Amino acid sequence: MSAVTRTAAPPSALWKVLASTDHKSIGLTYLGVGALFFLLGGVEALFMRTQLAVPNNTFLLPQTYNAVFTLHGTTMIFLAVMPMLFGFSNYLLPLQIGAREVAFPRLNAFSLWITVFGGLLMYLSAFVGLPNAGWFSYAPLSERPFSMSLGQDFWAVSLLLVGVGSSLTALNLLVTTLRYRAPGMALRQLPLFTWMVFVNSVIILFAIPALNAALLMLEVDRALHGLFFSGAGTVGGGSAVLWQHYFWLFGHPEVYIMILPAWGIISEVIPTFSRKPIFGYDFVAGSTVAIAFLSFAVYAHHMFAVGLGWPVNLAFSASTMIIAIPTGIKVFNWVATLWKGSIRLTVPMMYAIAFLVQFTLGGVSGVSFAALPLDWETTDSYYVVAHFHYVLMGGTLFALLSGLHFYFPKMVGRMMSDTLGKVSFWFTVLGFNGVFLVQHALGFMGMPRRVYTYPDLPGWGALNLISSLSAGVLALGLTLTLWNIVRSWRHGQIAGDNPWRAWTLEWWASSPPAEHNFTALPPIRSRRPLWDLYHPDDADYNRPRRHDKENGAIRPEESDHA
Amino acid sequence: MTVQADPRPPYPTRGVAGPTNPLGMAVFLATDVVTFTLLLVAHVYLRRTSVGPGQGALSVGQELWFSLLLWASSGMLVLADRLSRGGNRQAGWLYLLTALMGAGFLAGQGLEYAHLASQGLAVDRNLFFTGFYTLTGLHGLHILAGLPMLVALGTLALRGGLTAKRAGAQAALSLYWHFVDAVWVVLFLVLYLWKGP
Repeated sequence: MSAVTRTAAPPSALWKVLASTDHKSIGLTYLGVGALFFLLGGVEALFMRTQLAVPNNTFLLPQTYNAVFTLHGTTMIFLAVMPMLFGFSNYLLPLQIGAREVAFPRLNAFSLWITVFGGLLMYLSAFVGLPNAGWFSYAPLSERPFSMSLGQDFWAVSLLLVGVGSSLTALNLLVTTLRYRAPGMALRQLPLFTWMVFVNSVIILFAIPALNAALLMLEVDRALHGLFFSGAGTVGGGSAVLWQHYFWLFGHPEVYIMILPAWGIISEVIPTFSRKPIFGYDFVAGSTVAIAFLSFAVYAHHMFAVGLGWPVNLAFSASTMIIAIPTGIKVFNWVATLWKGSIRLTVPMMYAIAFLVQFTLGGVSGVSFAALPLDWETTDSYYVVAHFHYVLMGGTLFALLSGLHFYFPKMVGRMMSDTLGKVSFWFTVLGFNGVFLVQHALGFMGMPRRVYTYPDLPGWGALNLISSLSAGVLALGLTLTLWNIVRSWRHGQIAGDNPWRAWTLEWWASSPPAEHNFTALPPIRSRRPLWDLYHPDDADYNRPRRHDKENGAIRPEESDHA
Repeated sequence: MTVQADPRPPYPTRGVAGPTNPLGMAVFLATDVVTFTLLLVAHVYLRRTSVGPGQGALSVGQELWFSLLLWASSGMLVLADRLSRGGNRQAGWLYLLTALMGAGFLAGQGLEYAHLASQGLAVDRNLFFTGFYTLTGLHGLHILAGLPMLVALGTLALRGGLTAKRAGAQAALSLYWHFVDAVWVVLFLVLYLWKGP
């Protein structure tokens, strides 16, 4: 019998992505998957804005409209924003702490793919009837007999799968940060992005189980005819309000889950393009921990209209006002970092500054809900829609775009086009504010959210038309960004390892980083190891406080961008 | 200006500060604590307004024996771990015995379910049983998931495969099993013994 020589064919590029356990490949896949779902959610948003463009429109059926807003909310939160944040977290966290991998690489791949399958399951519900009880699916609307379609069960199981993926990713990132930091890097020296992701992991690990418990109870009710949330108000019936408690015990921390890594990106971008270390690192880091605790303590401010009673309402009103303080501390720290800095308006920096303005506006409208009478007046109105889009789109999405332009050179090895970036920035920022600024007014004028159409009341038609037309501008801006990515992927300028002259370890790796990230690391003796490396005469470990009185800011030699 | 990196040897990737698996498992179990706590709180809250048969319909005496079997399996696991640390392959039998005891507990749960079902006491009967089946069902699933892992560990041990490389996984599995047994202490107390608020 003659010997058979076997030569394994080299694995195809697609197979490499599918089978990879490399944190960078997984991170990029998360970003890609998140972007695809973002596209889907965006198209759903355009459908809604088309339907709402004029009064008494008949573009969508009421039932279809309900399904579209349910899918839009669920998709954006669980399948677009969270995966994109996990993409950045997966890619950057090991690099920033000088590690080669995450703690559990195969678990990491499992988390990614179970998230993808969860997303597919959500959209497979198209074959059995789309879920249409809203992203928070209040009981008893989400219960049989009010939602008979199997789509509601697809929704619940899909979120369970995605939740498993999110929890395991958080577990992975937490253990990685605790165990795999490079020698010399204390927890207090973590780059702020990694710190935020680290704290965020703790929030995820305590919040997602609340959703899991609620979904499990919902499925026991729907599939096994349990009574947890059904028959409320009848003898021996369950409690519909219990769903709200558990859902928002998850749901409000979820809001912070979606903003913490975004704050992390902003805390990397603003110092880099101001040529200053972050102002008040300890306060930025500490206020994050305060928010992690408080995010659970404010959840019932989503339930002021339920009638929980004065003591409960007042307690949650107070905690909601309190959580604005650590959030405000961060905004002040970012502004103070800009103060007297040597600012260069690159595309990532422009997105970061837009973030600052828009996120602050969203924060101000957010804290306004802590005033009970105002909340009662505006609850379930477009004022609420405007508020959370300012935080999650004006905030998180802009931070993601900032991060995209900032880290693209590291991930791909090429720069994104600056001109195209600036053009798309202006379309995006004008479009976004055009869509949502007017919705504050619509809310105060009494327009309720989640309605498929509205009567021709004075002003409503005009403001809605502005909002819908701006959605087109926003879509154009985002499409241009997509084009910029595609074009720069092949034709962008070669970036080099550290195009922005940043100071943390990910910029020490090559662009894109080698498979095992590093072969050697610079000594880590402060929060900015690369600054120390290039300026041994003026290292951070010799002069940690750079916001000193005489300069108010930085010395001339520090303002060098080149 | 050219700056060279500190030419130290490549940074080690593994084992900087102890095994990661037990830590990962501990974090996972923390999430489980939240899920079980919330389900338990829901049950305790809702069963006040439950109508019809409740705790009285459960077979406390019978369940106590099966519970003791489960808790004894934790003791067996401790012995197995001890023996295995000494390098004794026969520890594998103790791991398999632990799994068998877990399976015995599940059989007991099956008996309980069958007994209740014969009286028409299913999930949809009333609030007490909705919560009862959800909690015991989720706990039973945890036991069920533990069985193949224990069997795998036992088989590995018998073949001499429990090397130092697998010590982390071994410790993580022990943690899991002890946790699941401890959860049953709480569930047994609340579901079978405590009369409720």
